[in-house]
Amino acid sequence: MIEFELNGQPVVFNGASDTPLLWAIRDHFKLKGSKFGCGAGLCGACTMHVDSTAMRTCILPVAAVAGKRITTIEGLSGDGLHPLQAAWVEHNVPQCGYCQSGQIMSAAALLSSNPRATTDDIDQALAGNICRCGCYPRIKEAILSVAELSYDATTEETSA
Amino acid sequence: MSIRNVSRRRFLKLGATAGGGLIIGVNLPGCSFSGALPIEQESDGFIPHAFLQITPDNQVIFYCPSDEMGQGVRTGLATIIGEELDFHPRDMVVKAAGLHEDYANPEFGVQATGGSNAVRVFWGPLRQAGADTRALLLNAAAQDLGVSASELTTDNGYIIVGDDRFPYGDFVTTAAQLAMPTETPLKSNASFKYIGNEFSRVDALAKSTGAAEFGIDADIPGMVYAVVVRAPVAGARVLSVDKTAAEAMPGVVAIVPVSSGIAVVANAYWRAKNAAQVLEISWEDIPLGQVSSAQVRTDFEAALAEGDTVEASTQGELVAGFDAASSTLEADYFAPFLAHTPLEPVNATLHITDNSAELWTGVQSIQGAQGLVERLTGLPRSNIRVNNLYLGGGFGRRGTLTHIVEVTEIAMAIDKPVQLLWSREDDIRNGLYRPASLMRIKAGVTTDGIVSAWDVQRAGGNITADTLTNMLPALLPSLPSSLLNGLSGFAEYLFSQWTVDPSSVEGLHETYDFENHRIAHATVDHGLPLTFWRSVGHSYTAFAVESMMDELADRAGIDPMSLRLANTENKPRMHGVLQTAQAAMKSMTVPDGHHLGIAAHSSFATDVAEIAEVSIENGEIRVHKVTCVADVGTAINPDIVRAQLEGAVMFGLTATLYGRIDLDQGEVKQSNFHDYQILRMDRAPAVDVILVNSGGDPTGIGEPGVPPIAPAVANAVFKATGQRLRELPLKLA
Repeated sequence: MIEFELNGQPVVFNGASDTPLLWAIRDHFKLKGSKFGCGAGLCGACTMHVDSTAMRTCILPVAAVAGKRITTIEGLSGDGLHPLQAAWVEHNVPQCGYCQSGQIMSAAALLSSNPRATTDDIDQALAGNICRCGCYPRIKEAILSVAELSYDATTEETSA
Repeated sequence: MSIRNVSRRRFLKLGATAGGGLIIGVNLPGCSFSGALPIEQESDGFIPHAFLQITPDNQVIFYCPSDEMGQGVRTGLATIIGEELDFHPRDMVVKAAGLHEDYANPEFGVQATGGSNAVRVFWGPLRQAGADTRALLLNAAAQDLGVSASELTTDNGYIIVGDDRFPYGDFVTTAAQLAMPTETPLKSNASFKYIGNEFSRVDALAKSTGAAEFGIDADIPGMVYAVVVRAPVAGARVLSVDKTAAEAMPGVVAIVPVSSGIAVVANAYWRAKNAAQVLEISWEDIPLGQVSSAQVRTDFEAALAEGDTVEASTQGELVAGFDAASSTLEADYFAPFLAHTPLEPVNATLHITDNSAELWTGVQSIQGAQGLVERLTGLPRSNIRVNNLYLGGGFGRRGTLTHIVEVTEIAMAIDKPVQLLWSREDDIRNGLYRPASLMRIKAGVTTDGIVSAWDVQRAGGNITADTLTNMLPALLPSLPSSLLNGLSGFAEYLFSQWTVDPSSVEGLHETYDFENHRIAHATVDHGLPLTFWRSVGHSYTAFAVESMMDELADRAGIDPMSLRLANTENKPRMHGVLQTAQAAMKSMTVPDGHHLGIAAHSSFATDVAEIAEVSIENGEIRVHKVTCVADVGTAINPDIVRAQLEGAVMFGLTATLYGRIDLDQGEVKQSNFHDYQILRMDRAPAVDVILVNSGGDPTGIGEPGVPPIAPAVANAVFKATGQRLRELPLKLA
């Protein structure tokens, strides 16, 4: 029996403790927004936040998250859209869309630790997320647009 | 052998699309789906035809006949019908169409998606359907309001009379009683409101929140999970299996033989996968088991050396053309087998009950999926329901439906709903591949820069025989297997001995004038399953043709762009694209150490030129920026067109820099993204798209951006290093 917090709610998982977190979330808790792409931590489609850190959950045993806070794409924004999700729509980012939950979760973790992320920061933080449709230029623009908003906001505060 | 038989060639060429891919025009009796439309009627909803439903509260539902795999087809087709209906596509509810003959792709004759043709072939029918429906609503409104229809007009879902606005939904009850007008005049291009505008895709929000439902997301109460262990050498059959260890693994429900191997069924995917790893299977030895990568190229070279080719296309006088040339060159170009690796591995979920079946999947032919379930279960067609969800990438891979065969065989053997999921390793090792190809080009160019002789031979496998093997059972569910095997075998024989599979040689000369040319082909098939791969034959032919064009330019001392312009005098659309690319190049500031390479290619009725800005850093080829110039006639949503070209550049760069599937004694060596690399964010270039849009009907956009990028990069690498790389993926010496 493994207890953890899922999108703000306490939950209990009774299955095998070596089950990768991805499958526990998808098949037991029925949250299907996080995706399976490689099963080896190589593509990032399964990315969730574990205590605010972006992690590849297809290779993370559920036992390893006992007592931790898990956030999935479904729990990212609470009410309304996360600024990144709004930027994704604005920049017409998705094509097939399958990798986008993972891309957004990686981007959100980056911006929460580094709100003024630069192009190089994005390249590093998102290099673990494959997009087979090749939406990279738009993903980058969308993240930068949110990072620039935060940059503008901070600048305005300073100058005020 | 070089038999020419025009009538046979013409018969087969009937199946070739406008510049891309082969169409299996199976239009035989018994494979159409007539009867009631597969549409759930909303409360008092009006269903004028297969594509629309309009409700009294003015909701417009569009049933999209093509499968959404990222190409934006739901937005594109909604925009086309919305333009004539006068209803903003962004405000429509867009749903995947169910199975019905009214949704058949007009060019394929079956309900399937591919060949970059959806917008092109539905352009006419959907505009007409939208215009006729609008005319019907006007007639209904005229009757209800007691005015003449000529006094009415429309504005985005509203009938306008004087200063009054009435939603379309007010008139659906009357509309349902009236006859549908036909041949309603269409709008002039100049009056388009939505076509040519840029707005977010209709699926952008769902695909940014995790809400979009893909095949893998189907979740049926009580379902179990299946994994299949397939032959390490494609096509080998099981000789014996020891399932003792696997049966003892936790969660295992059943172990089921299927036609492709052995299925392990468990109460969780994870457990099925673990148990599958301890199955002990011995497989038969087949000839492919003797084949390794090095031998593939050797065999191609041997076939060309023997001259055992069949002519695919010939024009003018080659000998005279070579005599007229001031410079002559000959070179070989090679492209390897490739996997598709859509990020969502193929999967299917099937629930068979006493007299019915329901399937959830994401495929490029819902009709084929239904046909396979029908063939294998023997259930009546009307009792099989197929839910085609979003496709997590297609690229040609989801046109082959062996996973539907597998899930049906498994579901028939156990008494539960079952979800079959291929792992990434299954996807890379057990799939179908872009054929490896050797292309030998001998060409001559005059001092004026006219390519006066163009003699090409291609050696490799053909996709059509495998395609028929996979598609015919699906599309002709009631035809006996023996007859189908005969048909597929006949295709294989035909293409190896008698004529040329158009998709094997497409793109070897069509971009240019080339008044004296000969295209010949040698089929060398090692037995690895082959299929469509985004841009099909063009994915390798453009690499050979466009590399040779630069080699000729270099040899003759002509600027590469000028050479291309000189040889497209009779290809006005491509000529215009090249002129735009030339102007773009002139205005570029190229940093020190960076070099530009260009390439152009026509495919799927669209003309594309790409300029790659490349440098060499620490022995690595780095692509910094790609400028992509394209003419698609009319862009339905220019931002989606740009997105497709950006994505095509990335897809093509993966093949340019990394992509290769190697065989070791018949087994695919690569297995996951560590050894089958995909281009990542930190290596993705900026892409600048310039749309020429010369007008006229819209042409293909999903695939045409792929072919030019590999030769554009190779041509830039030559400028940077002097090394002419004639094999993909590009590797510096």
